[in-house]
Amino acid sequence: MVKAATLPRNETGIETALGILKQRFGDRLQTGKSIREQHGHTTTWIENQPPDAVVFPQNTAEVSEIIKACAAHKVPVIPFGVGTSLEGHVNAPAGGISVDMGQMDQILAVHAEDLDCVVQPGVTREQLNTHLRDQGLFFPIDPGANASIGGMTATRASGTNAVRYGTMKDNVIALEVVMPNGEIIRTAQRAKKSSAGYDLTRLMVGSEGTLGLITEITLRLHGIPEAMSSACCSFPSVDAACQAVIATIQYGIPVARMELLDTASVKAVNAYAKLTLTESPLLMLEFHGTKAGAAEQADAFGELAEDFGGTGFEWTSNAEERNRLWKARHEYYWATLQSRPGASGIATDVCVPISRLADCVARANEMLEELGLVGLIVGHVGDGNFHTTLLVDMDDADELARAEEYVGRLNDVAIAMDGTCTGEHGIGQGKRPYLTKELGGATRYMAAIKTAFDPDNIMNPGKILSDEA
Amino acid sequence: MLSPNSESELAEMIAATSGDLVIRGGGTRGVSLPGAELNLSGLSGVEFYEPGSLTIVAAAGTPLAEIESVLAAENQRLAFEPMDHRGLLGTTGEPTIGGVVAANVSGPRRIQAGACRDFLLGVRFVDGAGAAIKNGGRVMKNVTGYDLVKLLAGSWGTLGALSQVSLKVLPRSETQITLKIRGVDVQTAVAAMSAALGSPFEVSGAAFCPGEDDTVMIRVEGFEPSVAYRASRLSDLLMHFGEISQTHDAEKSAAIWTAIRDVNDFHSTPGDVWRLSVKPSDAPEVSQRLQADGLLFDWAGGLIWACVAEGTDLRARIGSFGGHATLVRASAETKQRLGMFEPQPSSLEAISAGLRAQFDPRGIFNQGLMQAPALGAF
Repeated sequence: MVKAATLPRNETGIETALGILKQRFGDRLQTGKSIREQHGHTTTWIENQPPDAVVFPQNTAEVSEIIKACAAHKVPVIPFGVGTSLEGHVNAPAGGISVDMGQMDQILAVHAEDLDCVVQPGVTREQLNTHLRDQGLFFPIDPGANASIGGMTATRASGTNAVRYGTMKDNVIALEVVMPNGEIIRTAQRAKKSSAGYDLTRLMVGSEGTLGLITEITLRLHGIPEAMSSACCSFPSVDAACQAVIATIQYGIPVARMELLDTASVKAVNAYAKLTLTESPLLMLEFHGTKAGAAEQADAFGELAEDFGGTGFEWTSNAEERNRLWKARHEYYWATLQSRPGASGIATDVCVPISRLADCVARANEMLEELGLVGLIVGHVGDGNFHTTLLVDMDDADELARAEEYVGRLNDVAIAMDGTCTGEHGIGQGKRPYLTKELGGATRYMAAIKTAFDPDNIMNPGKILSDEA
Repeated sequence: MLSPNSESELAEMIAATSGDLVIRGGGTRGVSLPGAELNLSGLSGVEFYEPGSLTIVAAAGTPLAEIESVLAAENQRLAFEPMDHRGLLGTTGEPTIGGVVAANVSGPRRIQAGACRDFLLGVRFVDGAGAAIKNGGRVMKNVTGYDLVKLLAGSWGTLGALSQVSLKVLPRSETQITLKIRGVDVQTAVAAMSAALGSPFEVSGAAFCPGEDDTVMIRVEGFEPSVAYRASRLSDLLMHFGEISQTHDAEKSAAIWTAIRDVNDFHSTPGDVWRLSVKPSDAPEVSQRLQADGLLFDWAGGLIWACVAEGTDLRARIGSFGGHATLVRASAETKQRLGMFEPQPSSLEAISAGLRAQFDPRGIFNQGLMQAPALGAF
């Protein structure tokens, strides 16, 4: 368990605000220990710092009331979606009120003709896609968990579809936000943004709840592709697989998903799911398009793969067969946990220019040996992002220290390659030390923006920026 | 005129200045403001280009034409299809990549590929105190704090002087076909464009040119067999809207979209030109309220170009419409009187002013631009 920094608590303010909110919200404000701990951070990597209370608003006006009460008494406000973030984003290092958006879970409008929709933050991505399916539309951002749209917006989430559809930054059109003083603003209209003021929408996307609380989201939607095809292919080395990826992208094959499993990962999946994949790096791809296009793309990739030593190339557009081909990816998480029973997973999240990906993965593997750690590597290789999942015995202090060392060293390697310490998980509490290392002077601007928006630092304090800032 | 040749010179000049500065790239996009010109064309050259990583990094003053030709040699392009304003505004000079980013200039392909800001991976800029700042870089995605990169895109030089930009590029498409539907009214045109965009056939342009021909134009791009297939399926899908023809010659098709991108129809017509961003489904109703002498609809109706009599206050004429109206071509006097950009609600104006004060505490960059008149220079 990694200790998280604590911040000074404003006991009087918290007590006063709690009294006001209890009176106002009754049973919709909870202070039981277990519910508070559920709303603090739940991963085993960073210790749990529960809030003082959890409140469940049902509309924007209520959110505004909550924030006004907290602002008046300088009490921290921690926005909460479904709690699937990985870097301590929902911990309460100074105590305060967790605002659970779960009861604001309505899909307010779907404008099929404008390819957009308006949702409340508690809507989950699976709920949204189920709702959209019979209109021939879908929302493509798919982080591993069934996250809430509000949380995904606040953390600028991405997923396996990012190669083709981008991340949350590319798919949020407008936001309604309650500002740190309780004021309700709209960052933009449904019309496309062009030169009427700064892009406040994208300033809010990825701000991790530190600038305001998102209460409504307008999202860009996409038509469900006519056809999908899936392919997989083994390569003699990670480098060969990366070269094939680069050639595919450069050739202009519009890949939707492109995932890489390293040899250790393939072994783990074989053992867990009783598969017989060649135990060498495996590339899995998915193509979206027309029936003819998805087939052509898979074929074209097959030819390119061969040039780079690819073997065992298979592709299909049949839905059941597609699931079989991608089984290794779908079972990956469970296979990881089973490969060292009793251990906990710690995921790194570096992202580098794709030309450096093979080098970076090679270094990541060497460092596992150097530090005597067990880890598996899976990558969203189309955008240069990969995760080492370290399997760590949390009761072994020395091993935990080596895991921390690994994360730090890998972040430094990526930053030295013009990369970033986090491609999709975010800064939260866990990665704050690396932000300054990576960005230098730009963090001063972030601190200045934070101060301008939230002078009393009540919105999700202790996240993104260092406490000294 | 200040003409730095490096980022460090740029920083020194800004730190040493005491008066207002007007940041200028190629000077082709119609900004005229009071103050000393800070000309960035000396910061020029492609600094890094790796076709395999789909990334180009260039000094902000690099001519757009140079970037485009470097990319074309590797069969790549800027997918957001930036407009050339010279024909419409009668300006001369060389558009620069920094100007494209500062004005977030995007063309017809925005509906499919995204806007300029969506391709901006990183920036270097000098703030109002003369400090050089870097944000973002060469990676395709990051979640390292607030997205300053996107804030700088479309900020028209009011937050900082860009010194370098890093952009994601994409392969050029092998070929393209334009479908035309003739003789339709604006309601039918918007319905047809919406049906095309909502289809799985990957439309990369949807425009409507009212007038003699009343023609809807739909573009598909990609590899030859796929383009032919999609054009044919789209023709089936759209045939009930009107008579459909196809332009198969890729060069002729490309010329159609360059003309739409640069609003060629208004190059030689007199009058002011406005650009309205609306929800596509609102386009028919809003366009009627404009009482314009000329109209062109891009982005499936989401962008309306309107030509009106000189000096017209179009915002006052149409009232609230759920979008924003930008004054693109008019006399300096009209631009000053009406403001180029749609005024924002006061809450957003206050936030914007707060941001601007952080980036440019002395208030020296492009005064009067993107500012409520009460706060501005006039």
